[in-house]
Amino acid sequence: MSSAPRLDRHRVPLRAFAIILLVLVAIAWPALVGDAFYQRVGALVVLAAISASAWNLIGGYAGQVSVGHAIFFGAGAYASLVVYTQLGWPPVAGAPLGILVSLALAIVIGTPTFRLRGHYFSMATIAAAELIRLLVANWPLVGAAVGLMGPAAPRSVADLTFRDPLAYYYIFLAVLALLLALTAAMERSRMGYYLRAINGGDRAASSLGVPVLRYKLYALMLSAAFTSIAGSLYAVMVGFADPDSVLGILISVKIVIVAALGGAGTLFGPLLGALILVPLEEWTNAAFGGSGTGVTYVVYGAIILLIARFEPGGLLDLVGKLTRRRHAA
Amino acid sequence: MLLEATGVVQTFGRLRAVDGADLAVSEGEVIGLIGPNGAGKSTFFNALAGDRIPTAGRITFDGHDVTRASPDRHARLGIARTFQVPVTFTDMTVAENVLVGAFLRQPHRAAASAVVDEMLEFTGLAPMAHRRAGMLGTPGRKRLEIARALATKPRLLLLDEALAGLTPAEVQAAIGLVRRIHALGITLIIVEHIMEVILTLAERAVVFHQGRVIAAGPPRQVVNDPAVVAAYLGHRMAARMQA
Repeated sequence: MSSAPRLDRHRVPLRAFAIILLVLVAIAWPALVGDAFYQRVGALVVLAAISASAWNLIGGYAGQVSVGHAIFFGAGAYASLVVYTQLGWPPVAGAPLGILVSLALAIVIGTPTFRLRGHYFSMATIAAAELIRLLVANWPLVGAAVGLMGPAAPRSVADLTFRDPLAYYYIFLAVLALLLALTAAMERSRMGYYLRAINGGDRAASSLGVPVLRYKLYALMLSAAFTSIAGSLYAVMVGFADPDSVLGILISVKIVIVAALGGAGTLFGPLLGALILVPLEEWTNAAFGGSGTGVTYVVYGAIILLIARFEPGGLLDLVGKLTRRRHAA
Repeated sequence: MLLEATGVVQTFGRLRAVDGADLAVSEGEVIGLIGPNGAGKSTFFNALAGDRIPTAGRITFDGHDVTRASPDRHARLGIARTFQVPVTFTDMTVAENVLVGAFLRQPHRAAASAVVDEMLEFTGLAPMAHRRAGMLGTPGRKRLEIARALATKPRLLLLDEALAGLTPAEVQAAIGLVRRIHALGITLIIVEHIMEVILTLAERAVVFHQGRVIAAGPPRQVVNDPAVVAAYLGHRMAARMQA
């Protein structure tokens, strides 16, 4: 059909080549570094990329900047540890429970807040996340302020408690690959265009027949489900969750920054952001020791300022601009 | 009747922006909504498009009561619109903007893309298909809004000052476009300040003043109506012109 060229860009071969290279490097990474520390950093990069890519569906494509995604991350983390402490199941078996809870929370939180615009929506999500953190911190069943622990020693392989980060790295990578494949498919479908139209303007989108609230809710639910999976995987690996470490505002902020730094609303932006930010964070933690959390806040603040001032589209947008300029020249 | 509005009232606090307006439009008509600034025509127009739920009154389209229906339901039933200040999706390309509209009737991308090409040709935007919508000037954006609206395959198209701010040459091109849209069998309601546009395009003009319809009929007849002249120029000026 002669219609294809009107919509598709012509730089496809370059992009396909970059993706193949990325996949190969991702698979070979643990072998390339061969060191448990770097393998662990790799696993954390992929985990951050999962959360940020999940946030990207609602925050990037649909432009609804949630600063409360710790809700879903925490739901996933707590769900996996609760099935262990209460039922003795392997933590990973709690992931479906986390997804269900997150979907329910997405509907309960999204339905009223999606009527709010811009900053008001962001503020409402912060408030919702803080409220849930306080509730959990006072709920004995989930360990209240102390939190929950996973199995100290593996009872079977199903507990997924490996001393070696290698296994976690590949499990996380598989989830990230699934999420990015899903996002890529969505990008080219009606839903992808509808979300970008909502980002461009609610009023115009609804005048063209886009059921705005419904699509925002779809995007939030999909986003919540994958953020919850990230939380469950985190809890499985770390074997511990408390209100601050999985429900704190720093988690929500970090998810936004990772996505925005790389490029919100682009397929690979969140992954790029994770590739830069996670190693940076590991480095500041190592360099400043236990007092490093304060420094982390400072680094986040500086990054927010720099993105907002110089490159609101994120780094991928900057790369796009530079290559376009070269094409034009 | 394709569209029927009866006793539409829209209040903002104590202001009655639309105060009991009636309008009946049959299939294939071109209606011009005119009136001085602040007459309530834009507010009435937004009620017809579902952008605002009227305080009172009833609006039906093709037998469906759409008084309280959402804008997206209006679109699904076959009412499309443009905005006074164009609101294109600036980060998307021109073709992608139109694709959003086309997806309403064609959920699959290949079929929707065919509609996009057709609409880009029809509106003369094909050479700009890959440009970012944000790069277009005002005439281009207005044209893009029309292309996007047409991609939803409407039966009724509401144009809100689609020709305002254009140069005389651009106005002529836009008038040609509106004629071709009408030739497709699409019913049109046009809000317009430029009288020339109403005189050349509209089969019937409806004049708003202070939230009410004060005159309706063939445009040339309506513009000479003493009540209409008084609404635009004030009573004293109207009396002097009569003399």
